Amino acid sequence: MSGPGSRSGPARLTVENLGVTFGGVRAVDNVSFTAEPGAIVGLIGANGSGKTTTLDMVSGLVAPRQGTVRLDGTDLVDYLPEERERIGIVRSFQDCRLFPELSVLDILMLCEDVKREVAVVSTTLQLPWARRAESRKRAAVDEVIGAFGLERFRHHRTAELSTGTRRVVDLASIILAAPRLLLLDEPTAGIAQREAEAFIPLLRRLHEVADTTIVLVEHDVPLVFELCSSVVVMELGRVVADGPPDVVRADPRALAAYLGASDEAIFASGPTAAGPKGVSATGPDVDGE
Amino acid sequence: MLALSAPNFVLVQGVIIGLGYGLLAVGLVLIYRTNRVLNFAQGQVGVIAAVFLVKLTADFKFEYWFALVLSIGLAAAVGALSELVLRRLFNRPRVLVMVATIGLSQVLLALTALPFIRPHNLYKPVPVPFDLSFTLGTTIFSPGEVLTLIVAPIVAVTLALAVRSTSWGLNMRAMSENADSARLSGVWIRRTSTLTWTVAGALSAFTAILNAPGQTSALTEVLSPDLLLFALTAALVGAMINLTVAFVAGIGVGVLYELLQWNISSTANQQLVLFIVLLVVLLVRVRALRKDSRSAERSTWQHGAVRVRATVDALRNRISVSGMWAAACGAAILPLLLNVGNNYLFSQVCIYAVIALSLTILTGWAGQVSLGQFGLVAVGAVMAAHLGASVPLPLLLLFAGAVTALVAIIVGLPALRLPGLFLAVTTLAFAIFMQEAVLATPCWTVPGIHKTLCTGLPNPASTLIGRPSLFGLGLHSERAFAWFSLGILLLSILAVRTWRDKGVARRLIAVRDNELGAAAMGIPVLRTKLLAFGLSGFMAGYAGVCLAFATERFSTATFDPTISFIIISMVVIGGLGSVAGAVLGALYLEGLPALFGANPTIQFLTSGLGLIAFILYLPGGLGELLHRSADALTLGVRYVQERWTTHGPLGSPPGAATTPVPAVPGAETLTPEVVES
Repeated sequence: MSGPGSRSGPARLTVENLGVTFGGVRAVDNVSFTAEPGAIVGLIGANGSGKTTTLDMVSGLVAPRQGTVRLDGTDLVDYLPEERERIGIVRSFQDCRLFPELSVLDILMLCEDVKREVAVVSTTLQLPWARRAESRKRAAVDEVIGAFGLERFRHHRTAELSTGTRRVVDLASIILAAPRLLLLDEPTAGIAQREAEAFIPLLRRLHEVADTTIVLVEHDVPLVFELCSSVVVMELGRVVADGPPDVVRADPRALAAYLGASDEAIFASGPTAAGPKGVSATGPDVDGE
Repeated sequence: MLALSAPNFVLVQGVIIGLGYGLLAVGLVLIYRTNRVLNFAQGQVGVIAAVFLVKLTADFKFEYWFALVLSIGLAAAVGALSELVLRRLFNRPRVLVMVATIGLSQVLLALTALPFIRPHNLYKPVPVPFDLSFTLGTTIFSPGEVLTLIVAPIVAVTLALAVRSTSWGLNMRAMSENADSARLSGVWIRRTSTLTWTVAGALSAFTAILNAPGQTSALTEVLSPDLLLFALTAALVGAMINLTVAFVAGIGVGVLYELLQWNISSTANQQLVLFIVLLVVLLVRVRALRKDSRSAERSTWQHGAVRVRATVDALRNRISVSGMWAAACGAAILPLLLNVGNNYLFSQVCIYAVIALSLTILTGWAGQVSLGQFGLVAVGAVMAAHLGASVPLPLLLLFAGAVTALVAIIVGLPALRLPGLFLAVTTLAFAIFMQEAVLATPCWTVPGIHKTLCTGLPNPASTLIGRPSLFGLGLHSERAFAWFSLGILLLSILAVRTWRDKGVARRLIAVRDNELGAAAMGIPVLRTKLLAFGLSGFMAGYAGVCLAFATERFSTATFDPTISFIIISMVVIGGLGSVAGAVLGALYLEGLPALFGANPTIQFLTSGLGLIAFILYLPGGLGELLHRSADALTLGVRYVQERWTTHGPLGSPPGAATTPVPAVPGAETLTPEVVES
C-alpha cells in the first residue's frame, strides 16, 4: 500500500483556502493553517465560527466547496471518512456519544477490530488463529484499560458512564487507533472546571504516548493556551489570527474577535500561562482518579 | 416492455379498491405522525364496526343510519381505548410498540367474536343504504362499490378539513412536529393523542364498512399482509406524514393493482411487476423522508436490545452456565419420554427457535426490522424440496444457508439507504412475493436465453419430501428428528453466543447505535450491515431446510407471510437481542399453545392480550426474567454460603486474589469449589 498510510509517526496537516457554504451561508471561508508533525494546534473562536465544520472537512464528513486538505503533502480529496481513518486521521466527537449499548471492553476491542477485522467463519468455528487474534487484541486492550484506570468500568455499558468517564474511554480508544493526526472536538465539553484542568496532563500524556499531531477545537481558552504550540483564532468562518500562543495573545484582532469580548478570558488565561509548571504539578494526583 | 391497456371499468375498479387502501393509509399516517407508532391493528378496529353493523341491522332490525352511527361510534371508542392501553409504550422502542399492536389486532379479532357483537348469521353481507348500481363496459358495479365511490372521498375531505382547521388538528400537527415543544406550549398531548386514535378508529370503521360488502364472511381478518403492504406503501409514499399524498397514493396503488390484473395473466408476473414498482417508488420517495427533520427518529427503530450487563461475578456465571447445561441435557432426554405427536412438536419448537435466533441477529443486534423473515425460511425449504433427495444433509444445510444468505443480502441492499420502516415494508413485500410468486411457480423460463429454472415448490398445492439420513442414521422417526432438530438448535445457540462474545456482534451493535461514530472509527458500515443480513439469512436458510424435512408435506400456504409477524413477536417476547430469550420466545409462542391448546390460562397468556401484557409489564422479555431469576438464585446461594462460612470459616483459597472482583461486596471469600458443594 502506497500513499500516506505507509508512513508512521506524527503527520503534517496542511489546510489551504478551505471553504464551504450551507444554504448560502459561508460557514468556512478561505481557511488556511498548517499543523507541523507533533504539534498541538488549537482552534478557538465563538460559537458558529466554523471550527467544528473545519474539523468535519479534515475528517471527510463534510465535502469542502473549495480548497485542499493535505496530509504529509497528499491531497485527501478522494478519501472517504473510513479511508482517512485508515491512514491515521482519528477524530473524537463533541458529544462523545460512543455506542450506548456496548461495554467499555467491547468499544476498545472494536478499535482493535478496525486494525484487524474479525474473520467470521474462523471465529464461528473457533479455529486456533481466530482465538489467537482475539486474545492478542484482548491483551492490547487490557493494557490500555489498565493504563487509563478503567478496570472498574470494563463491563459497564457506555450509556451508564458519566460524561467524564466516557471521555476517558474515548481517549483510550484513540490510543488504540494509533493516530498520526488526532482531531479533538471540545474534549472538555460538559465537564466540570476541575475535571477539565485534570484533562491538561491527560491530553499531554496522550500526545506523548500516541506520538501524534493534534488539532484541538476548544472553548476553554486557558486550556488551549496552556497546551497548544500554535493557536488559530476563527471568526465567522475566517482565520483572524494564527501563531504561537504568545503572539496570538498579543494580536489585537484575536482580542477583538474572541478574547476581547470580555477581559475575563484574557485574565483567566493569564495565571495558567504564567505558571504552567504549577498546573502540571497538580496534575498527577487529579488524573489518578 | 408490455403494452398496458387501460379500459375505463378497470380504472374505476382500481379507484374503488384504491380508496380503501387510501383510507387505511391515512389512518396509519395519522397515528404514526402523532405517536410514531406503526399500528398493525388499524384495519382490525374497523372490522368490529362492520360486524356490529350487520348485527344491529340484521339481528336487531335497527334503522341503517342509526346503526351506522352506533357502529362507527363503537370503533371510535375501541380506538380511544387502544390508545389508553398502549399509551405507556409510546416512548419505548418502536419494534416493541409495533409488536404490541400486532397483539392488539389479535385481541380485536377476538372481540368481534363476542356474542353482543357477532351476528347470528356470519355470512350475512354488510348492508347498503340504497340500491344504486351502474354498468361500465362488461362490469356491473354493485351498490356497495357505488357507496365507496361516494362516501370515501367525503370522509377524506372531511378529515382534511378537520386536520386543517380544528383545534385537534392544530394540536396534532404541533405534536407531530415536536411533541416536547408542543407540550411546553400548552398542547395537552395526551388528549390530542387519544383524540387521534379515536378519529383513526372511526376512519377504520369507514374503511371496513366500505370494503366489506364484497366479502363473503364478515369475520375475516382484515389486515391481511397484502392489504397491509399496499396501505403501508401508500403511507410511505406520503413519507408517513402527508395525509393527502398517502390517500392519493393509496388510489394509485389500487389502480396499479387492477391494471396489472387486467394486463398480466400469470399471478407470478403480476407480483413481480408489483414488487419492482413498489421498490422503485420507495427508493425514489426515500429522499422525502430523509429531508424530513424527523429523520433522526430512524434511530429509535433500532434500539431496544435487552439491557443486561455482562456479569463479572464468578458465582453468577457458574450458575448460568450450569443452568444452560441442565436445560440442554433435559432437552436431550425429553424426546425419549415424548410420544410421536409431541416429538413432532418438539422439532417444530427447536426449528422456530433457530428462526427466532436468525432474527435476533438482524433485529436485536443490527437493529434492522424485518417483517419477512419467513420468506427467507421459504428459500431454504425450496432448496430442500429440490435437492433433499440427492444432496447429503450436512452439505444441503450449508448450501441452503449460503444461498439464503445471498438472497438476504440482496433483500437487504435497499436497507443500506432506507431507514427502518422502509426495510420493514420491503421485507414484507419480499415475503409475500416469495409465497405468491416464487413458491407458486414450479419452473419459469428465463427471458432471453430460453432456459427453464426451477425455483418454486415442485407441487405448489402439496409437495411431499422424504426425510434423509444423517451419516447413515435415518431421521424418519419423529424421535430421531427431534434429536436432530435439537442438535441444530444447540449448534445455532453456540454459534450465536460465539458471535456475541468473540467479536462478530460488537460491530453490528456499534453500527446500530452510532452509525456516524462507527464510520469515523473506521468500521466499514455497509459491509457490516450486509454481514448482519448474511448471517441472519444463513441461519434462516438452514432452518428452512429443517422445517421442510420436519413438515414433510407442505404447500405455499405453509409459508404464509403472517408467520413472520409471529416470529418477530417471539423475538420481542424473549427480549430483543437476547439469545436465551429467542429460544424461550419460540417455546412460549409455538410450544405452549400446541401443548395446552385447550387450557384457557395458556390461551390467554399466548393470545394477543398476553402479548400486550408481556410488553407492558416485562419489557425486557423472558430473557430478562431468566436473568433476574439467575440473579435471585445467586443471592440465595451466596446467602447459604455466607451462613456456612460464618459457622465454619474457610481459609482464603490460594487463587482468590486473581479471580475477578465480584459485584457484591464480601463475595471475594467465596470460591468456585464452595459452589459445587
